[in-house]
Amino acid sequence: MTNDSPIDLLLLVRDPIDHAALVGHVREAEDGAVVTFDGCVRNHSRGRRTLYLDYEAYEAMALAKIRAISEQIHEKFHIHRVAIAHRLGRLEIGETSVFIAISSEHRPAAFEACRFAIDTLKRTVPIWKKEYFGDGAIWADGEIPPAPLETHAAKPAS
Amino acid sequence: MFTMAVASQSVRVKVLFFGRLKEIVGHSEASVELPDGSPIEALFSRYGAQHPELTRFRASLVASHNQEFAPWSTPLHCGDEVAFLPPVSGG
Repeated sequence: MTNDSPIDLLLLVRDPIDHAALVGHVREAEDGAVVTFDGCVRNHSRGRRTLYLDYEAYEAMALAKIRAISEQIHEKFHIHRVAIAHRLGRLEIGETSVFIAISSEHRPAAFEACRFAIDTLKRTVPIWKKEYFGDGAIWADGEIPPAPLETHAAKPAS
Repeated sequence: MFTMAVASQSVRVKVLFFGRLKEIVGHSEASVELPDGSPIEALFSRYGAQHPELTRFRASLVASHNQEFAPWSTPLHCGDEVAFLPPVSGG
């Protein structure tokens, strides 16, 4: 599932993520920096040895939420391009589950935007991982996304 | 279950389940008929009555309505897409 804008490359993929392609997408002659984040499958979780992970997503909404992150990044930071890919399905130890590349003229903006991107993704994008161990499997503890509590009532005229 | 007012029109909505909720309910997608304007909460209660284990997770769930996070009071209409989302763990 992809959402290409001419500027940003936003993907949900089932095959291994091509880091170089994402970096290549964001890196242009006017950039002085490309900052990347490589989220990897760790071999342990809270003292237990992990065998592999299985990721699933509410794909249409996940892509919309990733698109919302890229839009926020462009509003908040002086950056050039964004590439975000998240992998779904079974992932082995050491594989990349999420990769983010952000280019900017000067490095501070790309560093800040990359941190914002992964933190916001982990909090707001409907993707779930199941961790498989030698003696069973559990759905990873996640974060509750910030959601509106009640329908916004019309503001009384003042 | 639901007691329908005589005048209330019934509509079909699409309901999606993910993660542990999908395992509890036994499927990832369903088409459900309910009175027009029913809140998302009522739809969840209906599933909770069928699968009591679901109600244990209610406090940690957020609802989505047509692919946007939404309040549980959101009224449902014909063709809407609803999901009950467990805490997210991407990345």
